[in-house]
Amino acid sequence: MANVQPAVISAGFCEHASKRSDVNMAELVNEAVEDCLNKAGSVEWKDIDYVINGNMPAFEGANMPELWMTDHMAAKNKPLLRVTTGGTTGGSVFVSGYYAVASGLYDMVLAVAFEQQSCGNTTVGLASVALGELSIYPSLGYEATRLRRNMGAGAAIGVASYQAMNYMRRSKATEEDLARVVVQNRRNAAKNWWTHLKMPTITIEDVLDTPYISYPLRFGMVCPASDGACAVLFTTEEKAKQIADIPVYINGVGSYANEPAIIGVDCGGAGQTDPCEQLGAVKSAELAYSQAGISFPNKEIDYAEVYSPFPNQELQWVERVGLFEPNSAPEAYLNGVTALNGEMPVNCSGGVNSTNAIGASAMERPAESALQIMGKAGNQVPKTVHTALGHGWGGAINLISHVVMADEPQRKFK
Amino acid sequence: MDKVAIVGFYQVKPGLDIMMSPYEMLFEATRGALDHAGLKRDDLSTVIGCNNDYYDGKTISNCFKVEAGGAYMKDESKVEMDGAHAMMYGLMRVLSGNHKLAMVYGISMPSCFPYESARILETDPTFDRPINILNGYTAGGMQMRAYLNAFGISEEDIAKVAAYNLKNAAKNPLALPEAQKTNISVDEVLNSELLSAPLRKLMYPVLCDGVTAVILAPERQARKITDKPVWITGVGHFNDTYYLGDRDLSSCSSMEKAAEKAYKIAGINDPKSEINVAELFGHTACEDLILAEAAGLADKGKGLSLINTGKLNPSGGTMAGYTPAANGLTRIVEAVKQIRGEAEGHQISGANKAIASGQVGFCAQNNIVYVLEGGE
Amino acid sequence: MTLNIDEEQDVSVTKGMIRAEFNFWVGIVMDKFYDGLQEKKFIGTKCSKCGKVFLPPRNRCGDCFAKAEDFIDLPETGILKNFTVTTYKISERKTRNVKKDQIVGLVQIDGADSAMVVPVININPEDLKIGMKLKVVWAKNIKGDPNDIAGFEPIGGV
Ligand SMILES: [Zn+2]
Repeated sequence: MANVQPAVISAGFCEHASKRSDVNMAELVNEAVEDCLNKAGSVEWKDIDYVINGNMPAFEGANMPELWMTDHMAAKNKPLLRVTTGGTTGGSVFVSGYYAVASGLYDMVLAVAFEQQSCGNTTVGLASVALGELSIYPSLGYEATRLRRNMGAGAAIGVASYQAMNYMRRSKATEEDLARVVVQNRRNAAKNWWTHLKMPTITIEDVLDTPYISYPLRFGMVCPASDGACAVLFTTEEKAKQIADIPVYINGVGSYANEPAIIGVDCGGAGQTDPCEQLGAVKSAELAYSQAGISFPNKEIDYAEVYSPFPNQELQWVERVGLFEPNSAPEAYLNGVTALNGEMPVNCSGGVNSTNAIGASAMERPAESALQIMGKAGNQVPKTVHTALGHGWGGAINLISHVVMADEPQRKFK
Repeated sequence: MDKVAIVGFYQVKPGLDIMMSPYEMLFEATRGALDHAGLKRDDLSTVIGCNNDYYDGKTISNCFKVEAGGAYMKDESKVEMDGAHAMMYGLMRVLSGNHKLAMVYGISMPSCFPYESARILETDPTFDRPINILNGYTAGGMQMRAYLNAFGISEEDIAKVAAYNLKNAAKNPLALPEAQKTNISVDEVLNSELLSAPLRKLMYPVLCDGVTAVILAPERQARKITDKPVWITGVGHFNDTYYLGDRDLSSCSSMEKAAEKAYKIAGINDPKSEINVAELFGHTACEDLILAEAAGLADKGKGLSLINTGKLNPSGGTMAGYTPAANGLTRIVEAVKQIRGEAEGHQISGANKAIASGQVGFCAQNNIVYVLEGGE
Repeated sequence: MTLNIDEEQDVSVTKGMIRAEFNFWVGIVMDKFYDGLQEKKFIGTKCSKCGKVFLPPRNRCGDCFAKAEDFIDLPETGILKNFTVTTYKISERKTRNVKKDQIVGLVQIDGADSAMVVPVININPEDLKIGMKLKVVWAKNIKGDPNDIAGFEPIGGV
């Protein structure tokens, strides 16, 4: 087969905020595309031969918006593909960018993911994830009249609080442990130019002073809803060497699908009963590591970006993707292992907890990891990063994306 | 391009309102495709779905299709365009060498959603959407007028194409029963209701529920799985600008570029003589001609001659029943059947090289075309 | 939302509707265009590279991928590039046959290189000709949005 080694040569962002009311969707996306191309050295927009786009469709109320945004993404008279998988969208778009190059069909691929959440009502959008499954209600014995009340539990916070409870039971993590993750993320975000919630002086007490939204998650622990876009440029190993100072090679990708988890207590989905178990994430990571020739992720990976709108998820994901032993993440955070100057820095970009333009978030994870390897991240870690991972989740916490990148290519063995 | 084959496929018999849940329907297709190829679900390593959140009335509509789509604990993703676009992603995954067996499916149930309304949501939200007169009907009407005017073609000629498609559908056992019209006359088409002048109702496809699934494998695996692999020897994919005023609607430049690229990869120099069958996704009878001309099967303005040769849409094409998000895959499956000599009732004898296409957008903005070949 | 469940059928059919409000930010150049409408004026943009003029404006030229943020005042007149006549009204909920002809035209304003899909009014469908000169008719109540364009009518009648 093609035997092409894909590499990332550039990643661009637009400034994220709760309301980017100064631009429309197309202009928002255009900002990230321009930023990406400006940082791509000699590459011009004409060199791009494949464009991939994605966002959460129901959040802006626009169907296949990339058709309209063609001119703003340098996609006129080029192939344009739309990949969407919910919260994982960005990661899935990133993975498809990898495959477009790996297939040998295209050699300069632009992947763009965005969300302008201020255009719509995200909670209504998310409620329809669950409420689309109306057929489940009569079989569960629920009356139609109760549905409106249940919508609140169907949104992301509902599923995250069950996940948090499960995780806290397993690991004996406390609310303080959750708050510590938030503090680390938001302080990191303050040092990264494109992020949304910048809080350089936030403390654990500040977080614990905010009211509960859904126990055990407090208002101060929840990600914001952001407007933003991210663009990444992929090419082949040969071209990357000519263009970039430090090309970032994508050595492993995995995107397993699990059964949908319980969404809220009243909603459909019959699969996972413990939403913090995450077999899909474990298997995606295993696949990506085996492709990348990584046997000991906790030793071989230098930097990680995981998708965690809620702090409990950050603790859970770093364990599930093999960076820490099960239930040991809270202690690692307490000891500063995951801090900017720690042994295993995590989410130094500020993470999803500080900036969540949903469709873009899962792409911003591998994009930031790639920038850390290049040494060009907004909040660069002091140590040299050779190998890094970018993780994303979405759907009913059942769709995963996992990307492993390094400054050295990993020859595929056939 | 390395050789990749379609080794199995299944199309659920479409219906105006299939009395099945989408998951039952999807399961029938994915199970059917695996059985057709003589494979087990365990053999699959990746699944690419094609569905649209607006069509399904559900955000992240693929997250509930994991089990029925055969994607549980598989490397899964979703393309939200046409099934033919999803096959492109499946093809990329196989070509990369990471995957040896890919399932691609497309699904939608127009009986459950207002398709034309969902298309309104495709328009530019800052101008066309507030004015709200650009839609599937009016875009089709303007495209047809552009084509008629550019080449001095009459409405009757387009009606002939529509009648030809509906008669072909009558010979296709997997066409929508309501679209199978053995005795339809050109006059009947010309007297059907105007949707958006000059586009008439019988020149526009009937929406139907359906699912189509295909299984892709690289050469080594394909030869072990089936005696009749159909090879994907070329693929081209291009996108034009959204703005209708910037485009020449009497032709289709994205299809021209896509076909040119696909032919180049497949080593086809003279599509007119080399291609035996073309299963094209035209959104109207008129668009079938525009796409066929853009694909180089006929000179510009001379597409009508193709209906005499019979090689354009022998299955009836989109007019045989239009399932959004699956139609491109259905076209591919029909072309595959022709090459395998299994197109019951509408077989073109000796068909060995075919093209099949998929599209999204108003007036075929984004086109993808495959060259499919049989034999070694 | 509404929900009704029909238990009588073999297959239980559930119909639901979720109301979701969307408000689109119009962006850098459309903002100016909307302001122009308020003063009954067309404001387009010009590509900084090839000089193409866009109305409605866009801030990037698809052919050059160059900025198109220089504003340019455009006249109220233009030509009909294409048209269709329909009796159907398609809303975000359903398709209805309103049994009344509406003319949809692709109108290119003089001096612009792009065209807009707008209503054509005050003319019988039989009298429409591609290439005919048209002039904008403004809505009675100007609100500063695209519906201020009530339509385009032939110059000097037909
Ligand atoms: Zn230009």
